[in-house]
Amino acid sequence: MARINTKVPWFRKMAWFGKKTTWMNKKKLISTLKAYAFLAPFLVLFVGMVIYPISLGVRLSLYGQRGARMWYIGVENYQRIFSDTRFWESFKTPLFLLGVQVPLMLFLATLISLAYETRKNSGVVYRFIYYLPYTIPGIVAGIVWSYIFSDSMSPLRPLLDLLGYSGTKILTRPNVPPILLVIILWEFTGYTAFIVYSSLISIPKEFSEAAQLDGAGFWQIAFKIKIPLLRDVLITLFIFNAIGAMQVFNEPYMLGGLVVLPNNYTPAMYIYSSAFSQGRFTYAAAMGMILACITFVISLYVLRTAARNVLRSRS
Amino acid sequence: MKRMVVALVVVLLFSSSALAADYYPPYTGEPVTLTMWAWTSNENYSIEEFQKAYPNITVVWEDFAVHYNKAQTALAAGSGLPDVLMVEYSFAPQFMDLGAFQPINKWLDVETFVELYGEIALGWCSMDGQIYGTPQDSGANGFFYRKDIFDKYGLTVPTTWEEYAEQARKLKAAAPDLEFAAPPLGYALVWVGMIWGAGGKMFDYHDGNWYIDFTNPIAEEFFEFWGELFDEGVLDIQMWWNADWYSSLNLGKTASVIVGCWFAEWLRYNALDSEGQWRVAVPPFISADQPHNGMIGGSGFYVTTHCKNPEAAAIFVNWLNSHPDSLRCLHKYSNLPIMVSTRYAEILEEIAGPDEFFGGQNIVEELWKAHQLVDTTFVGLPIWSNMDTALSLLIQDYVDGKIERFADILPLWEQQVINTMKEFGYDNVIVGRLP
Repeated sequence: MARINTKVPWFRKMAWFGKKTTWMNKKKLISTLKAYAFLAPFLVLFVGMVIYPISLGVRLSLYGQRGARMWYIGVENYQRIFSDTRFWESFKTPLFLLGVQVPLMLFLATLISLAYETRKNSGVVYRFIYYLPYTIPGIVAGIVWSYIFSDSMSPLRPLLDLLGYSGTKILTRPNVPPILLVIILWEFTGYTAFIVYSSLISIPKEFSEAAQLDGAGFWQIAFKIKIPLLRDVLITLFIFNAIGAMQVFNEPYMLGGLVVLPNNYTPAMYIYSSAFSQGRFTYAAAMGMILACITFVISLYVLRTAARNVLRSRS
Repeated sequence: MKRMVVALVVVLLFSSSALAADYYPPYTGEPVTLTMWAWTSNENYSIEEFQKAYPNITVVWEDFAVHYNKAQTALAAGSGLPDVLMVEYSFAPQFMDLGAFQPINKWLDVETFVELYGEIALGWCSMDGQIYGTPQDSGANGFFYRKDIFDKYGLTVPTTWEEYAEQARKLKAAAPDLEFAAPPLGYALVWVGMIWGAGGKMFDYHDGNWYIDFTNPIAEEFFEFWGELFDEGVLDIQMWWNADWYSSLNLGKTASVIVGCWFAEWLRYNALDSEGQWRVAVPPFISADQPHNGMIGGSGFYVTTHCKNPEAAAIFVNWLNSHPDSLRCLHKYSNLPIMVSTRYAEILEEIAGPDEFFGGQNIVEELWKAHQLVDTTFVGLPIWSNMDTALSLLIQDYVDGKIERFADILPLWEQQVINTMKEFGYDNVIVGRLP
């Protein structure tokens, strides 16, 4: 909110408090104070849990560190990160997820939400069942999935043996990206479909009824009318899932117990390993900042492009 | 005559208690509470016994699983470390170098240490003459094998590595589904420990310098030996410490394991279906006339820099790991078969006996033999976790076919280790020879 600068000298401003306030000014003051009182719980938590740690992280990233010693080195950590191939290699997996998993999941979720819409009442059971995986913590899901794909305890093993694949291992390093795809799709598609569904049912019925009268089929209505109207929610979901894809950690970390994964399999894993296994906390803090910036840039880009497209299509 | 005998007995009593008092001086400070982080299946770390002997020192023990990450974080944060920290011998130099421990020479000098724990243990608990803690359990390599599989296929316990290869080939021919052994995919402790068992080493610390030489003849010979068996398909490499590996031990798909003697405790708790089938033996030697053994794992108890009362902590770690009352407790409750302390010999007769899980075999006796054969020592590198990760990736590359010969891993591993040492600011590294 821009404030018009009236260039009132500071002593005049101070005098304002001493002046007799009019009834209108007092009301304004009280309503401002009320606003801040309502905001206060959120502000306190936001500053304490978000602003403060981030600024502490930025401060930490400017130091070198070994054991309990810390010394100021300015931007040297960031310089070292730019030449650290292990950090940049770690982006392979998130980019794979960003390019494959996110669009695929949004597509599947949209299809499923369209199916939900056709069965508003009897579909409650399905909406509930598909939503359940989202309620399971990522780490628990990771453990159970790693059992499913493990060598000795997989329930798929008897089936594979029957088909003649008794010697092959499912969980090998080249197979991890598709396995991650399966796990993440299982975890989040139901939840995403639910969100798209709630936007879908708020689209006024008149649009699809009018199209039906004009002779449009179900799929034509879905893709030409409903989905364009869902654009906002789909963009938002894309951004959230993109952020999740860039910061993926739980699932590959749990799989790492049953298959050897390099500690830089994803940026978040590399940051974790640098900080807690290797004890390089300040280096990890700097990497965290860079990861956050990259994620922010990607989100901004998606928002801008989508906004531009919306403007273009509406003009 | 009678008076002389009485006098003699009194003198002997006094002198023995005086000797004991030399090891365990009384605690004259304020009443204090010590915190300790240690992992084990034990409910009681001899703490009750200790408090009977030293009522002014209370010990509070927190059982985390292996807690190195947490300890490192606490160290970097400047507070949060407990007074006493349990660290495996190979990881201890990393913590010593990071300044996580404080010296306790004032209350436990080198002479007493050597008397109670042996000179070799100095390599695990001290650096540059500063003693930081005391060693608890021995990680002396033991050959754990399934007697039922050995009997079924007519295998014998190998006494040399040549015999080991022979038995492995024999089992593979008779039962291709079973593994004679499944060496770990990574877990550098095992690979370093087996080379140690051949009387060799790949790194050391001496006089302020770190020495690194991975491609020395003993190491090369060893990796060639394993490479031959892997290439032939006689042995399979497997990732350890996960459910797959435990189930292979439990269900009898793996016939033997060479690992530290503390593994007896792990088997007891994780391979319940195979109770009564396991036996232990001294691991094979390079040749019958070179009996050596190495260690895989084993942990010491160290006094940290965040400890406000190092005197009490030093008294505790010394008592915990050498007093026969404590050793008895550790053996009984932690199921640790062998302790490093020389005083363990005093109660050996008492506690050695048939072990039900091992089909009635007297494993303490057998493993004590294995422990006595550990006659060399060296200091672990201060970047053990990085070394471990590097090895895991290289062995995985070998399994994937990207590295042709198993012995080729050694120079690659060495290069990565040297790079990491440089990256962490160690400029006192000497490559190519060992002290």
